[in-house]
Amino acid sequence: MTDEPLLEVRDLKKHYPITQGILKKQVGSVKAVDGISFDIPRGETLGLVGESGCGKSTAATSIIQLEEPTAGEVLFNGDARNAAETAADARHRNDVTEFDPEELKQFRRQAQMIFQDPSSSLDPRMRVGESIAEPLRIHGIEDKAARQEIARNLLDRVGLSRDDYHRFPHEFSGGQKQRISLARALVTNPELIVADEPVSALDVSVQAEILTLMKDIQEEFGLSILLISHDMAVVREICDRVAVMYLGEIVEIGETEELFRNPQHPYTQALLSSIPVPDPTVDRAGTTLSGDVPSPSNPPSGCRFHTRCPDVIQPEGYDFEQEHWRAVMDLRTRLAQRDIDIEAVREFVATESDRDVEPGAVPDDAAKAAIRNEFGIPGSLQDGRAESVLAEALELIVNEDLAGADELLSTEFETVCERDAPSLSETAPGHQSACHLDSTTATTDSVESAVSDD
Amino acid sequence: MAADDSTPTRFEDIDWTDVEPSGRLDLSPKALGMLVSTTLLAVLFLYDYFVVPKNNDTFEAIGWAYQVTQLDYFFALTLLAIFFFTVVPLFENPHLTRYYWDRFKQNRPAMLSLGFLLATFFIGMVGPLVLSKPELSLFAKYQPPVYTSVPKSAVIECTGRVSDGMCHGTWQYPFGTTGGGKDILNIIVYGMQVSMKVGLMSAFIVTVIGSLVGTVAAYSGGLVDEFLMRYVDIQQTFPSFLLFLLLTYQFGGSLLLFIAIFGFFSWGNTARYVRSNALQKTEEEYIKSAKATGGSTWLIIRRHLVPNTASSIITDLSLLIPSFILFEAAFAFLGFGADVPSWGRTIAAGRADLSFAWWISTIPGVFLFVTILAFNYLGDALLDALNPQADTESES
Repeated sequence: MTDEPLLEVRDLKKHYPITQGILKKQVGSVKAVDGISFDIPRGETLGLVGESGCGKSTAATSIIQLEEPTAGEVLFNGDARNAAETAADARHRNDVTEFDPEELKQFRRQAQMIFQDPSSSLDPRMRVGESIAEPLRIHGIEDKAARQEIARNLLDRVGLSRDDYHRFPHEFSGGQKQRISLARALVTNPELIVADEPVSALDVSVQAEILTLMKDIQEEFGLSILLISHDMAVVREICDRVAVMYLGEIVEIGETEELFRNPQHPYTQALLSSIPVPDPTVDRAGTTLSGDVPSPSNPPSGCRFHTRCPDVIQPEGYDFEQEHWRAVMDLRTRLAQRDIDIEAVREFVATESDRDVEPGAVPDDAAKAAIRNEFGIPGSLQDGRAESVLAEALELIVNEDLAGADELLSTEFETVCERDAPSLSETAPGHQSACHLDSTTATTDSVESAVSDD
Repeated sequence: MAADDSTPTRFEDIDWTDVEPSGRLDLSPKALGMLVSTTLLAVLFLYDYFVVPKNNDTFEAIGWAYQVTQLDYFFALTLLAIFFFTVVPLFENPHLTRYYWDRFKQNRPAMLSLGFLLATFFIGMVGPLVLSKPELSLFAKYQPPVYTSVPKSAVIECTGRVSDGMCHGTWQYPFGTTGGGKDILNIIVYGMQVSMKVGLMSAFIVTVIGSLVGTVAAYSGGLVDEFLMRYVDIQQTFPSFLLFLLLTYQFGGSLLLFIAIFGFFSWGNTARYVRSNALQKTEEEYIKSAKATGGSTWLIIRRHLVPNTASSIITDLSLLIPSFILFEAAFAFLGFGADVPSWGRTIAAGRADLSFAWWISTIPGVFLFVTILAFNYLGDALLDALNPQADTESES
């Protein structure tokens, strides 16, 4: 069965415990990677993109077993583990997370990793030739002359000189060092290369060279590559398929062309709109995200993106301008964090106003207006019922009852986005996205059932 | 390049199904050499201890009247370690050696220091085999060094020319003699050996224990780390000076005792250096890279962690070695030292005669001073030469 994917990741999780005190009592966990699944077919490149801190690097180190995953399977169907072994009853035999030391060592020969920082990924005290040949030595090639010849040959093939064998890493530029890292990763003839931000530390012109080299090498040897990057442009350059990660989850995955042409998930749309277009006459309605990336130790309920999503679904029975609804959601997010200081608001109003007023003497209406202004909520919402709920909440806020306001808004303005976590669903062949907006019929069904359950 | 099946020249030509990870211990030639020679040394020691009668010379069987002491055995071990892990690697990697040497030789004072220390080392090793131990010879007391003179009244028999009531020095005693008539040249040569023994052997103990404890603590982390480092804290508050006085009082002073005490109680700082450095290095991507490619913990520590922390050990040692030598001199000066002809003792002995016989204290003092200075210069230059990164960083 050569058509089965080389790498299958199933519901991979990596949680880091947060401990407190001398006894290291666990008080929580950072869910860096929280259940991701994808396949990488042979000879294909999958790009894993997302903002920094979304868990993409942790995903890489967990797949390559530099860190032990908390849960999930990583099935590696390398050449040495052929179809006979991978029969349905013995699938677990290919699960990297269950490998014994010997199997793991073999896996480490067949799967290599390239790191981000070219200045620290090569041992500064080792000649680059030795660095390249080191994996051979580790995996039992004892003929020193052969190792040296292979390393020299590889140096030549990644665009450096055979005589660079005896030079030290600090004698090379960043791009050259990354070529050396690539040579080192190639030397054991792996089937999978995991590249963690391989070009993000390089100049744009050098980036293109390295990416071209990676592409050439992949075509020549039929490698599978997992490319981790925060840069959509880099991913578009060499990836066959792209998976978009947000807060430890994959929100959208699809063919590169399809995903760039027709992004489904609002987060992907926002990421794509961040790519600069080298044409000043193009007028783009850029999507901007509000708020900060939430902490992975306490991710938002439901769809994790709902705290920042510009297209967050409106609550049943109300009718907002989408922009205003987003503004109200921002207020709710801040309320949930109890991050509104009414004293500070009054003080702000007092200093802004022309007349001399004591902060304590600022009228409630002025404070409410300031809050509306801060979040971009208009003086009056078009939906009268929504406006009355909001007014009530603001009243509670100026009376310093943040919990009450939070409670009120949460029950009145509850959206499906915060209640249900959307699962990946197919929007086009091979293109999956995890958003309640994608499959409107499906979601309304589940929403209704959820509502009737309550 | 002839394509040969047995030696692939391209990585994709390797047939990995043929490659069996060999189970044998991957001993480098130098580790093997160290092992063999240490075994030989151990055999000799056992022979000396069990076969040779107590008061006979070790090599009596081959007609060489030399009694090998425990100190000698230990010094031999130190020299073997230095040879196999410093000298041999330099010859193994001629490229690297050339590279370091080119950088090192730009530093003039360091070159001079190296020359001086090598001379001190070799004279200290060979001299005592050739020269007799400095002996009392009262008739020859207070002979001045060559080209200088002393009032005739100070000496009993002047070996040189006497003119205007002054006794002139001769080449018989180029550095003069002490108040007991001991030849200062002999004392200097014997003192060289004592200083080298003290410096190198204590440093050897410190390096071995310090880097072992440091790397293990850094790489293991957790309770092991905690335990080792707290022990270091306790040890560092412990005054080895007092322990030395106590043991000297109990058993009498000996050089071996001095070396053992200062070696076994001074590795705390080195361990800390190594640990902090190793901790920093374990976060480096090349360590992760080695791990991701299947390198064992032992390989990572030996091939990546230790070489990259070595520069911090070298600075540490370049301060430790002279401080050991200085300590030994200070103890000898105070009269607690071992009964060996050391520089410190001679400085102390000449103290009372400074008014007319200045050379007794001054000459060993100058040697002590220059030796310590030379170690400091050498350490500095080695750090620069061995740390290519620091240099490029400061240049850019």
